[in-house]
This record gives sequence, structure tokens and C-alpha cells, in this order.
Amino acid sequence: MGAYLVKRLAASLLTALLASMLVFLLVRLVPGDVVAQMMGQAGGEAAAGAMREFFGLDQPVYVQYFRWLTQVLQGDLGTSWTRGLPVTMLIGQAFLVTLEIGLLTLFVATVVGVPLGIVAGIYEDGPLDTFIQSINVVGLSAPVFWVGLMLLVGVSSMFAWSPPLRYVPPARSLADNLSILALPIASLAFLQIAAYSQFVRQNVVSALHQEYVRTAVAKGVPVRTIFFKHILRNVLIPIVTFMGLILIQILGGVVIIESLFALPGLGRLLLTAIETRDYPVLQGALLIVVVAAMVVNLVVDLAYRLIDPRVRVS
Amino acid sequence: MSFSRMLDRKGALRISLMGAAVLGLLHSAPASAQSEGLYGPVADNAVMGGRLNMGLLVEPPGLDPFHQAADARIRVSVLMYQGLFYEAPSGTAEPLLAESYEVSDDGLTYTIKVRQGVKFHTGADMTAEDVAYSYNYIRDPENGSPGAGDFAIITDITAVDATTVEIKLSTPNASLPMTLGNKYGAVVPAGTFDDENARNLMNAQSVGTGPFKLAEFVPNSHIVLDKNEEYWEQGMPYLDGVDFAILPNSASMLVALRNQRVDLVALSRPQDVQQVEGVEGLEIERWPSLGQASIDLGSETKPLDDVRVRQAISLAVDKSEVMQASIGDFGTVLGTVPAGLQEQWGLPLDQVPMQGPDNEKAKALLAEAGMTDGVTMTLTTINGYDWMDAAAVTLREQLGEIGVTLDIQKVDLGVWINNFRSSQMGFTFNDWATQPDPNLLFYRHFHKKPEGADFRNWANDEASALLDEGRAEADPAKRREIYNEFQTILAETVPTIMLFSPDHITVRSARVQNYVQHPTGWYYGLARTYLSE
Repeated sequence: MGAYLVKRLAASLLTALLASMLVFLLVRLVPGDVVAQMMGQAGGEAAAGAMREFFGLDQPVYVQYFRWLTQVLQGDLGTSWTRGLPVTMLIGQAFLVTLEIGLLTLFVATVVGVPLGIVAGIYEDGPLDTFIQSINVVGLSAPVFWVGLMLLVGVSSMFAWSPPLRYVPPARSLADNLSILALPIASLAFLQIAAYSQFVRQNVVSALHQEYVRTAVAKGVPVRTIFFKHILRNVLIPIVTFMGLILIQILGGVVIIESLFALPGLGRLLLTAIETRDYPVLQGALLIVVVAAMVVNLVVDLAYRLIDPRVRVS
Repeated sequence: MSFSRMLDRKGALRISLMGAAVLGLLHSAPASAQSEGLYGPVADNAVMGGRLNMGLLVEPPGLDPFHQAADARIRVSVLMYQGLFYEAPSGTAEPLLAESYEVSDDGLTYTIKVRQGVKFHTGADMTAEDVAYSYNYIRDPENGSPGAGDFAIITDITAVDATTVEIKLSTPNASLPMTLGNKYGAVVPAGTFDDENARNLMNAQSVGTGPFKLAEFVPNSHIVLDKNEEYWEQGMPYLDGVDFAILPNSASMLVALRNQRVDLVALSRPQDVQQVEGVEGLEIERWPSLGQASIDLGSETKPLDDVRVRQAISLAVDKSEVMQASIGDFGTVLGTVPAGLQEQWGLPLDQVPMQGPDNEKAKALLAEAGMTDGVTMTLTTINGYDWMDAAAVTLREQLGEIGVTLDIQKVDLGVWINNFRSSQMGFTFNDWATQPDPNLLFYRHFHKKPEGADFRNWANDEASALLDEGRAEADPAKRREIYNEFQTILAETVPTIMLFSPDHITVRSARVQNYVQHPTGWYYGLARTYLSE
């Protein structure tokens, strides 16, 4: 286990380094830089040149990269060129918001989606299954921004209520925090519940048709035991894999939802950083996203080993 | 000399109030009247206190007035930072932190008396020293201010004594006071930028003299401004503070308005107003604008280097049809200046040459240019500017009539600005705004290089000479003549086609009183706003 972990971590570090290089180059390939954005249709070339020098943009790209990498290795992601705040702080604040949305969405999607999938699977092709599947089709095909907008407009016209505009962290007031996040999480979870329950249903159905289940039924094993020991245990592994995938997918949808509901999360931070060509924020945030995705994958892999003894051997 | 300039202060005020009352009832045309005086009308029976929630559709990329040119920054920062003069909507520069000024006979020296009893948000008293420091900082290109270009004609700024500043120019400039307004830079304590971190700190605390101080700026979330208790205008501002919520999505913004999460919003797409029309408790107002939606024609791009092709395009364009498609009725069709400048400085609309649609003449010009078989061009639109999409389709139809085929190319704003700044704009839509002054509107954009930026590679000697003349002329009547002549050349040789000014549309809850939208789109009006409850 120890050697495995070291190997995985080393590979992850290398990937992160390569990713950071790629990110660094890619953001600079997009035409226009922060100075052009700050100057707009004003400003002479002398002033623009002075600003480029100030940001170090007059240096060759490899010099800029090594300067940045040296900083990063010291745990400093630099200062935002437009907001004037430390990138680590900006990302830290934004990441917590996104993480909360992500985890809560995952929680809701799991708690609702898995039982729905199991029920649908057990009653395969029955009316309940058909009903759940019909809802899932809507969930899978409706784009996140549309669901978000419909929820917002729907709730607003039915209850004359819309979420408060200023984000409140859960530490300050959990009730306020949840009232702000309820709609965004519901919009994100809608799709994931559908995806989840479809996936679980499929696994339950295939487990039900396995010969060992048929044998167990024939032997008169109680249904409870069959369900928990033979079906659920086998369905659990793909569910954990799927959970990791879903979390990454949620992080993708969060970009849109954060803009729709004015949430100061990582997605929006990235989006504004792209618009303003705020390289330090962009590089820092992308690096964190890459690292976060790697951590999720690693945790999923480790979770396998706990659940399934066979993986431990190989 | 225009009518409003001949009026005394009181007369102008009376007329503007009357205009406002009439238009308040009608709602159908933009409120053309703007009150005199700083920021907006002083209320007779204002209620003190309360915090106003304003929605922002575009987030300021930063709040530093010295290094950030984005309009979203200026809209908010004018409440915290002040320059020597205020850009009155009538087109005059009213003393703000200046008390009065004198111009030498040769027009090269401005002696400015600085207002007494003004305190910075830091608590320090403002002196002439601070004024000289601040403007010297902006005009030195080494400091990287986007305003440096506008200040290039200044050769020297010195504090003569504690209350007097002397500004020396290389050439007379009648719009100097307007240049010393609030777009770029502001008066800040001397030595502010000695601290390397000063420009970053401006996103955390304000160091200006304005009616509001910065309390908090959380990117992607909100900006909190508190009343400046030591503000120099007696009894101002009425509000205890302004809370800006940043909500980049107009559908969500309209929902927030309906549910009273925000009290006031300036809409960026005028047609969105239809979604809140008739909602109880919401007041919708239209205001004239200094912004313009236009088509730019860069002469570096073939066949736009041929003036006949540009003229043909100008003649084929039906501006009011383009406006209808883009923003409906919520704007004003233009001649050669934005709507807010037309009365004061615009060439009368019936005298503007090369206005269409006149397809026969346009086709003849194209034929003369040797394009009898038609021609294909690429029109650039900018991502995020919704009006351009509808306008592009309409323009394609219109130009199709004279045998010009348009390919529409949509680019990211950053890409577009890059092309624009390197004078490689080609054939593109543009969306920009100005201060209420013809020199500030035209000079940098249209004077040939190196004095101007000549983004469109127009390189017109005659027009450049007129711009120099107009800048130096102090007499308003003569100045107007010069700029009319300039506009005639502009319309005849078509480096740009100004299409329309979209009205500023504000939606406020009924408790918001006395808010006047400045034609620049900046939120000056909040300094005179109060809440009725």
C-alpha cells in the first residue's frame, strides 16, 4: 500500500508539472493580454509598454514560467493582476464555495439517485420503473442552465422569492447559506440524480440476472440477505467509481450555475480570469482544478481497495 | 452657441426639472433633461439614511482608477474618487475639487484654485500638493495609466502654494477641464504610489475624496460602499451606503428586481425592460446616452482602403432598421456624434452626407471602384455584445442589396481589443462611450498618428488639422463650426458609421428617489439618491 501510494503520488506530481506548463503556455496563446484589457480603447503605447513591464509580460515566456514555478514551489501563487489580492486567498475562498456546492450536490444526488435506481432496477419494466425512467430522460436531456433558470423563474413567480444575492459562508449562518444554495444545488442535482439512478438501475438489473442470485433465490435465501449481500455489494463498486466521475462532472456544471446564481465559486473566478486575462489567477485556479481532479481519482482508487479485496492483490 | 448655454444656471435648472416631470409621465422618450449642479438635483425633502442595493451586470475588473480603463470600473469608482472637474451632462466641466480656474491669454497656462476643507478617506486634508502629485502620476506614461494619452499635451503641473495649482500646456486645449474629470485617475494623497502595493490596496480601501468610501470588495460577489462621514458637500450623501451585488446574468437580475433583492439596476440590454414592464412597485426610466453602437471600417483592410467602397457601405446602411433589430425602440439613431452630444456639438442630422439607404448611388460607387461582380467581406462582432448579433444579420441583408456579401465572424473581447489597439480592426462593430466633449470623443480615435491613435488607419490630414484647431479654440461657437466641418469630412470619407445610441435604462423600486442617470452611464446619481421609507 505504501509503495503504491508513493508511486501514485510521484506520477501525480509529474502530471501536475506537465499540466502547469501546458496551462501556462495555453493561456498565453489566447490573443490579447491583461494590459490590452485594462487599457481598452484608451491609452498610448508607452503606457501599455510600462504596464507590460510591470507585470513581467515583456520577458520571454520561459523566464515568466520559471519565475512563476519558483513562486508556486514556495507555496505562493502570486497576486491577481486585476483584483490585487493574493491568488491563494482568492482560490481558497472560491474553492470552498465550489466544494460545498459540489459535495452537497453529490450528497443529494446519491441519497436520491441511488435508492431510485435500486427501486427501478428491482421493479424492472414495471410502472414504477417506467415512471422513474421517464423523469430521468428529462433530467439527462435538460441543460443545467435551463434547469437553473426554470427553477429560479418558477420559484420566483410561485412564491415571490428568490435567493439572496450576497453569498454567506456556512460558518456565518448555515440557514442563510443553505437558502442561497438550495436552488443551485437542486439544478445541478437534477441531472446527476437522473444519471445516477440510470446507472444504478442498470447495475441492479444485471446483478439480478446473475446465476448466483438465481441460485440463492432457489435455495430459499431470504430476500434481505440476497439484496444486501449479493446485489448491493456488487453494485457498490461501480457506484463509487461513478461518484468520482459525477463529482468531476458537477464541477463542470458549477461554472454555469455559479454565474446564474451569482455565487463566488471557482468556476466564476476562472471565467472572469479568462475574460480579463488575469494569468496568475487563471494558472493558479487551473492548477488547483487539475490537482483536485487527481486527488478525486486517487481517493476513488484507494476506496476500491477498501471495498474490493481483489484490487488489493493486483 | 446653443440655447442651453445661453441660459443662466437657474433657467437651465427650471427647464430641466420641467422636462423631467413631463418625461416622468410619458416614459416613451428618453429624459433629455439633466439637472445642473454636481451629480444631480439636490432634493428638497430628502430622507437621510438607509442602504441602497444596486445590481451590477458587469463586474469592475478592479477599482483602481489610475490603471484600469474599463467602464465597469469608472461607473463605481466615481463615487469614491474625484477629479478637479465634473463632466456636467450639458457638456461643460463644472469645478469639483477645483474651486475656480483662470486661463492665461495664450491659453497655455491654467491656474486652478483648489477647494478648501476637503478630506481624503484616509483622514488627511487635501492640498494643491496632492493635486499636482496625482495628475503628474497619471500623465507620466512610465506609470502605465490609460489616461496618459489624454494628458500628453500637459508639460508641467506644479503646486504654486497650498491652494493653487498651475498646469502648463504645449498647445492650447479648450477641453483641458473636461480632461481633468473623473474618467482616469483622481486626486489621491501625495506619495500614494510610493508604496508598491498601492494599486492592489485600492481594491480593499479607497483613498479618494468622494461621497462614498470602499468598505468591502469581494470579487464575483459584491462591493460595499459606506457613506463618507467627512464628505465636503454639506449634508451629502443622503444614503448610509450602497451595496452592489454582482449578478452577471440579466434573467437572474430581473428575478432579483421583482423580489426586491435589488432596488436599482441599470440594464445593459435595453430590450430586457420588457420583462419588468408593468410589474408593480418597479419604475422604469430612460436616459440619453453618450455611448454609441457603430461600424468601424479600417483602411488597412482591402477593399476598405478605397473610399468609394466605404461610401457605398454607408449609403447602403439603414441605421434605424439596424437599431430596430438590435434594441428595438430603446435608442436614438445617430449622425456623427452620440445622442448626448447631438444638441451641443452634432452636425444637424439633415446635413450629414452619405446617409442611406440609397442603394442606386451605392451600387454606382461600387461599380466605379471596379466591383461590378460584387465583393465578399468579413464583419467582426464581439462575444457578449448581444446587439451585434442582430445587427450583423440585418447589415448582411442590407449590404446584400448592393452586392456585398458579408461573412460574420464572432470574436472574444480580448482578441478584438488586441486587433483594435494594433490598428488591425478591419470591418467591425464597435461599442464605446465618451465624455461630453468633442475633443475627447474624436481626437485620439481619429487624429492621424503619432498625435492620435488613428485606430482605423484613416490618415486624414484635413480632418487632423481640424481636430487640432478645435482643441485649441476656446470660443464655443467657433469650436462648434470647426467640429461641424470635421464631422462633414468624417461622414463623407467614412472611417466609421455611427449607428445609434442605446438609451440608458434604469429600473428602480418605488422607494428609490432622486436617482438621475448620467449620460456616461456612470453612477454619479447615487450621490443624490435617497430612500423614501
